[in-house]
Amino acid sequence: MAETLSYSMPLALTGLTFAIGIRTGLFNIGSEGQVYMGALAAVAIGSASLSYAGHAHIALTLIGSALIGMLWALIPALLKVYRGVHEVLSTIMLNWTAYYITMYISSQVLVDPARPEKTLSVLESSRFSTIVPGTTLTGGIFISIATALAYYFLISRSVLGYEISLLGSGIDVARYAGVNVRKIMIYSFLLGGIASGIAGGLLVIARPPTYAIYGTLGNIWGYGFEGIGVALIGRNNPIGIILASILYGGIKNGGRFMEYYAGIDSDLVKAINGLIVISLSMPELFRILGRLVRR
Amino acid sequence: MMIRGIVRISIYVAILSAILILLQELLGTDPKALIQTTLLAMTPLALAAAGEALNQRAGMVNIGIEGIFAISAIAGVYMAEVLGNGYLGLLFGGLVGALIGFIMAVVSIYGKADQIIMGMGLNIAAMGITPFLLRAIWGFPGLHLPPKEVLIQRLDIYGFQISIVTIAAIVIAIALHIILHKTYLGLWIKAAGEAPEALDAAGHNVNMIRMITPTIGGFLAGLGGAFMPLDFFGSITKEFTAGRGFIALACVISSNLEPMGSLGFALIFGLADALAPVIAITPGVKESVPYQFILALPYIVTLAVVAIAVKGRKLPRALGIPYSRE
Amino acid sequence: MDDSGGRDRPYISMRGIVKIYPDGTLALRGVDLDIYRGEILGLLGENGAGKTTLMKILSGFLRPTRGLIYIDGKEVRFRDPSDAINRGIYMVHQHFSLVPSFTVLENLCLVHGRGFLTTLKGLDLDIVREKAKKLLSVLGLDVPLDIPVENLPVGVRQRAEILKALFIGANVLILDEPTSLLTPYEAKELFRFIKELAQKGAAVIFITHRIREVIEVTDRVVVLRRGLVAGEMITRSATPEKLSELMVGGEAIVRREIATSERNILAGKPILSVRGLVVLDDLGRPVVKGVDLDLFQGEILGIAGVEGNGQSELVEAITGLRSVLKGSVILNGVDITNKTPSYIYKHGLIHIPSDRDRLALALDMKIYENVLIGLQRNPAYHHNIIPRIINWDTVKKAARELIKRFSITAESLDAKARALSGGNRQRLVIARELSKGAKVVIASNPTRGLDIASTSYVRTILRELRDRGAGVLLVSSDLDEILELSDRIAVIYDGKILGILSREEAKRVDIGLMMGGVQAS
Repeated sequence: MAETLSYSMPLALTGLTFAIGIRTGLFNIGSEGQVYMGALAAVAIGSASLSYAGHAHIALTLIGSALIGMLWALIPALLKVYRGVHEVLSTIMLNWTAYYITMYISSQVLVDPARPEKTLSVLESSRFSTIVPGTTLTGGIFISIATALAYYFLISRSVLGYEISLLGSGIDVARYAGVNVRKIMIYSFLLGGIASGIAGGLLVIARPPTYAIYGTLGNIWGYGFEGIGVALIGRNNPIGIILASILYGGIKNGGRFMEYYAGIDSDLVKAINGLIVISLSMPELFRILGRLVRR
Repeated sequence: MMIRGIVRISIYVAILSAILILLQELLGTDPKALIQTTLLAMTPLALAAAGEALNQRAGMVNIGIEGIFAISAIAGVYMAEVLGNGYLGLLFGGLVGALIGFIMAVVSIYGKADQIIMGMGLNIAAMGITPFLLRAIWGFPGLHLPPKEVLIQRLDIYGFQISIVTIAAIVIAIALHIILHKTYLGLWIKAAGEAPEALDAAGHNVNMIRMITPTIGGFLAGLGGAFMPLDFFGSITKEFTAGRGFIALACVISSNLEPMGSLGFALIFGLADALAPVIAITPGVKESVPYQFILALPYIVTLAVVAIAVKGRKLPRALGIPYSRE
Repeated sequence: MDDSGGRDRPYISMRGIVKIYPDGTLALRGVDLDIYRGEILGLLGENGAGKTTLMKILSGFLRPTRGLIYIDGKEVRFRDPSDAINRGIYMVHQHFSLVPSFTVLENLCLVHGRGFLTTLKGLDLDIVREKAKKLLSVLGLDVPLDIPVENLPVGVRQRAEILKALFIGANVLILDEPTSLLTPYEAKELFRFIKELAQKGAAVIFITHRIREVIEVTDRVVVLRRGLVAGEMITRSATPEKLSELMVGGEAIVRREIATSERNILAGKPILSVRGLVVLDDLGRPVVKGVDLDLFQGEILGIAGVEGNGQSELVEAITGLRSVLKGSVILNGVDITNKTPSYIYKHGLIHIPSDRDRLALALDMKIYENVLIGLQRNPAYHHNIIPRIINWDTVKKAARELIKRFSITAESLDAKARALSGGNRQRLVIARELSKGAKVVIASNPTRGLDIASTSYVRTILRELRDRGAGVLLVSSDLDEILELSDRIAVIYDGKILGILSREEAKRVDIGLMMGGVQAS
């Protein structure tokens, strides 16, 4: 269970990124790249010796991750708003660009001289320690849940959240209601970028034992796309997303064991994620599922 | 239309030649090798983009090209090895792509599925299915090299090597251009995207048209997918598609849904793709520019080209909207 | 023509037609209908009476839930419009079935080449052109063949539609509200033309909710009410009163009130003043070409005109939804030219849009959430202490009050706006907009698609607003509505105001002429 929660920690956040896009009427699949950038920032800040910062080191690291994720999301936002470039295309291209940037920096710049297959590990002062001994579950889970709750509050109670929902239900009604469409679209991308940036940061500073990025990016790879499934199962609602991320964490955790014991590939877990997304693309199916759940 | 298309293509070729000469002067790249690789890199993009241009004209969207690339590549190599014939492998890859396209069409038309989410689901599923099948079929998760006999032989024209599939891709783009602009089918396709209710009122089956184009698009994407391991790379790796399915979409969008225009943009993106490995081995460059940045080049070029080309494009009115009378 | 009264065997018989839509709406509850060759049959009824549904079944667009169709006494089943087309039945829909980006010729090709064998055949542009030209000369019609339909005036588009119908050899022609987008002159032309067609032996079915047109053009009329045949009569023996009674049933017939305003409204400064306004449409073409208007307190200024003459762009420009190229809009002394919708609303202007489902409502959001549209930045609906946080309790309370005051029938506040009927949606929009307490109201086709009860309710509210001193700009393509409500009437044609008439001097004929671009003498 603790392991499951540990997997769900980043997934709730990447799920938020996709969900807030959908709520705005955007198909923002840039989470993957924003995670890489967030992780990179975490390594850069977390491995720097900021002895004067003390316990604030951890906060600084997370803020850095959030900021860089936000900046990376700003690119597709501006391309969408000012050039009309569809976000599916721009975010995928940026995911790959982020992939190679991260590859380069983790193997050339921030590489661990002692173990070149990974980056420097972040210092003790910017690590979350495990809360269940013997597992990889750390206090990072609280950051993840708190972020989801904050987004829930923002979406359901704030003027910004209301305007996001209005824009999502139609650009014409949003304009009629006096919503600044460009501004809200950009905000939506930025909010998504913050969540995924934090996810990337947590993958580095809240996932023992390495507290670093592997040169293959193996330990930070795939969470962005899994977030799409998480968001769809959680019906794009932050509370639902927390629950869905736990479900997904369970599948991932189970997949890890399957591979270990039965030789069944964890790639199947990825395939299952895709199949879940495909089946959730059918609203009719949604309604049937909803009826079953209510029963 | 035809003449304009040819003129446009000639302009692209002229620009590209200028770039090639420039590169030769600056970097000392071998222009012949670069052109050969460019044409190879262009081929899967052009095939998939021409089909998807047709598809989007009919008001459908398939963003799952990346996934079709991956799955049909494995299917194609598998069948090529079983039958010992690369061409049959290509054909089988195309058929698998057509089947996927057809199923997606049926599910989106009759199951009212969101095509964007479904296409993305296919891409994600393929990320898992590809390495799984690689291991399940050939025992290695990372890399598989098909035997030399099943690889497609390149044509040799006075020392210049070109793949027969590349020629086919060019012919197909021209053929789809003619179908779209000169035949009844093309008229129906355009009407299905612009005003499906008018097509229906004229006594045509909108959903039939909207099942034909994803099937054609799927076939061509499947062909492009199988082409990569059986011809272009001569190998199949876990992540070999590397966003090419989305770059094909970029060709479609940038060309304003024209099959011939897609071919032109595929050439540009193919050049960016081919340039990366060429630059990486060019003396003087390989020391100063990190290898990873060169690999990121195709994506940055794609994004830049789309950002320049896409503004003011007019999409079909009924794009992505399911048609229903009631 | 005289023997069309039912002595012959009917050409087409529809028997016991029932239609239940997938969402459960019972549109037709067992309708019998006979159609004879050579007659013009009027199909009269209110919005939602089932006229269009019945004809969509006859033309193969919809399949009946129950019921049978006979042609010449033989049972037929239509699976698709193509089956009906093959039997010579063609329906011209209210908003036409032409591909806007195609030329007329290409649209004709769409009906010329059908079937699997033509799939990869080259377009027969020359054959189609020849055939079309021949038809046009026989019919005495003029339709340009090589211009994209989207660039043609509406009247010409309709002729292109009829050309298409005759091109495929239709002998049963169904016209759905064919005059709704035409000028009175164009409508007259259409009537003359379909009478000729009927004389040549075709059956013409004329769907309308306008009694005047039924009497003017049809031979026989069938009245539908709530999915049932309410009555049938030979037009010669029908009177407007009788038809109206059949149409609305036992409900009170709304008598036309003549709104004569005694007050001298033109005194004082205008509350809304538009000067030299030039506005472009989505394709960058000027569609409002220098409009001057003054709206005074306590009046309803009606803008009459056939749809597509710039009125929607004019409204969008005034309300901040579309940018103004040239000219100015002054609201209560404040320049609101090219200001944002929220700025304009804050200065006292509200907008009841024509396309309420797309603009004024978020159909997939809850009813109480819809009450906040446009008011979301109003601190009255925010949390007492934390700024920019919405207090949903206040919103719900306001919503409950509005629902009560405007007698909106809603299951619950938490239901989606989509669950509301058309009439209740409009009531919700009006309720919300009026709660903004503005001095200027811009209402665009405010009763379109509403039933009679909601229509009269909306009109009463507009009159009340006027009487309480607000200025109301009423834009409507329904001339009867304009005549019923307005104190002054401006006629818009091709992006210009052709003239402004006072209530007393406004004659239907003059306005009709002006709507067609003819300046009244």
